[in-house]
Amino acid sequence: MVKTNKDNLLEIALQGEITHTAIPSTYTTTWDNRSQMSLGRGGIVYNVKVGDPCYGWELGDNVEPGVSADGTDNDRAKGGFRNLSNVGNRVKVLSGEAKGSWGTVIGKVGYLPDRSHHVVMHFKQEVIDDLTVGDKVQIRAKGAGHKFLDYPGVAVVSCSPELVEAWGIEEKGGKLHVPVTKVVPMDYVGQGAGGSPPQASNWDIQTQSPDAVEFCRDLRFGDIVLLEDTLSYYGRGYYHGAVTVGVVITGPSNHMGHGIGVSTLLSCKEGQIVPKVDPDVNLKRMLELED
Amino acid sequence: MMIETNKDKLLKLAVMGEIVPSGSSGYRPTWNGVPKMSLGMGGIKYNLRVGDLCYGWASGDHVEPGVTIRGKEKPSPSQCALALLACIGNEARLTSGEAKNEKGVFTGRHAGSDDLVWFPEETIEKLAIGDKVQVKAHGVGLKIKGFEDVRVNKCSPRLLENMGIEVDGDQLVVPIVAEIPGFLMGSGIGSSQNVEPGDYDIQTTDPATNEKYGLKKLRLGDIVLLQDQLCMNGRGYYKGAMTIGTIIHGWSDSAGHGPGVNPLLSTIGGRIRTVIDPRANTARYLGLRDDL
Repeated sequence: MVKTNKDNLLEIALQGEITHTAIPSTYTTTWDNRSQMSLGRGGIVYNVKVGDPCYGWELGDNVEPGVSADGTDNDRAKGGFRNLSNVGNRVKVLSGEAKGSWGTVIGKVGYLPDRSHHVVMHFKQEVIDDLTVGDKVQIRAKGAGHKFLDYPGVAVVSCSPELVEAWGIEEKGGKLHVPVTKVVPMDYVGQGAGGSPPQASNWDIQTQSPDAVEFCRDLRFGDIVLLEDTLSYYGRGYYHGAVTVGVVITGPSNHMGHGIGVSTLLSCKEGQIVPKVDPDVNLKRMLELED
Repeated sequence: MMIETNKDKLLKLAVMGEIVPSGSSGYRPTWNGVPKMSLGMGGIKYNLRVGDLCYGWASGDHVEPGVTIRGKEKPSPSQCALALLACIGNEARLTSGEAKNEKGVFTGRHAGSDDLVWFPEETIEKLAIGDKVQVKAHGVGLKIKGFEDVRVNKCSPRLLENMGIEVDGDQLVVPIVAEIPGFLMGSGIGSSQNVEPGDYDIQTTDPATNEKYGLKKLRLGDIVLLQDQLCMNGRGYYKGAMTIGTIIHGWSDSAGHGPGVNPLLSTIGGRIRTVIDPRANTARYLGLRDDL
């Protein structure tokens, strides 16, 4: 087991609200000059969950699995909710019919209308059926400041201790062999470059070019992907030989430069992350999430 | 053979902007975590013109040549007519202040906020922040006859006709300064379904890559080819597509950022071929300087 500083991490409460689904107020223009009414960006999506396929949802565009919430009130409160939450953190419903139920943070999404963000959460179906837009949720956030003690060149971004423990990362010859579902070439990586900090928002795998669509066809929500030549230290950008590992958190898009969203978990420019490709790797199995 | 266009069918109309103060946002981390106080966005730059180098300005980040104006009639500058309709090479005219009625040229748009205008040096000396600038917007809807499938963007008839483009069979031959691999394109990808109001950045935050592709030699106004990039409705990757663009702002040390490109021509179907010409620059094509 990779040595971490998990015992030195603060555990704090972050409060947010379940969002409305984020759709633009009108038709949008697709990459190939068609008008489209899109749906599936957050809020409560009853019938898509982590582990399900990214493709195949009618008019779905950047579909998010499960339930999304954002920080409310001032920028400080919003920033905390977006930047300090971690994949694998537990989240409790504080109001409404599902009060007292627990779920799990599974990823983060940005680039939404009105500069809003989504922290995406998994709940059991019986909980989702009782949730309402506007319900208050509170995350027990632990993970900001997370480090792999013997690998100072590896940025650990928005990873809970539970995720690191369940991941199955192996140490061999001074390198971390990280289980991933797929390795994604830099050519396909689009929106997300230039964004900061990597703790909030996401990268996108662009899904317009036919070769990219073919490559992405079998991806599922919750798959763990390695993005080649990308660095996510103090922002997101190109760096030859660097890697970013993240979790698939949105479906594909028909809008140019957009696509399958990837929420950052690890990044390294010094060659200490080696992908161990296994098509069965998925967050649902790693965190034992039940539908 | 030279190109023919539909320029006689284009509406020409007035759009309005105002000279804005210089931007300043305090210290922010560079790609490798060094705090940096940046300058060069917004305002009046007395000593930076289209045709100057993108790289090398002290504390410069996203430096914008000449004078920066913004539309004011909507909550966001990107929603204003100036942002959507002004085209590179359009005539600009001061409508207030000490330099009232003096003329300049629209030279590009920096995503999010800033519209860029060149004025002669003697005019710049007289300018004040807040002066109003009106641009004769002319170019939206521009098409090249026989190449209607090639997307023309942000390009005045004057610029398009002066870019030295020749027709060779079913291809346009376009002079460029450099070829940029598509994977270097960063901030701005996916940011809008409209191409008109934005640029996107050639990422300059990997020192070895900057040297490999000679990125420090790029100049403001240079015409470049973006390989495997499609900019018809938005900006992004499409294998085999080609986009010709011009550099409108300078270097950056922020992750995912770098010299910004306004797309001018884009094709999905191999309708463009390029030739290298180190002098392919909007400042020369628009007669803004004679030393390039």
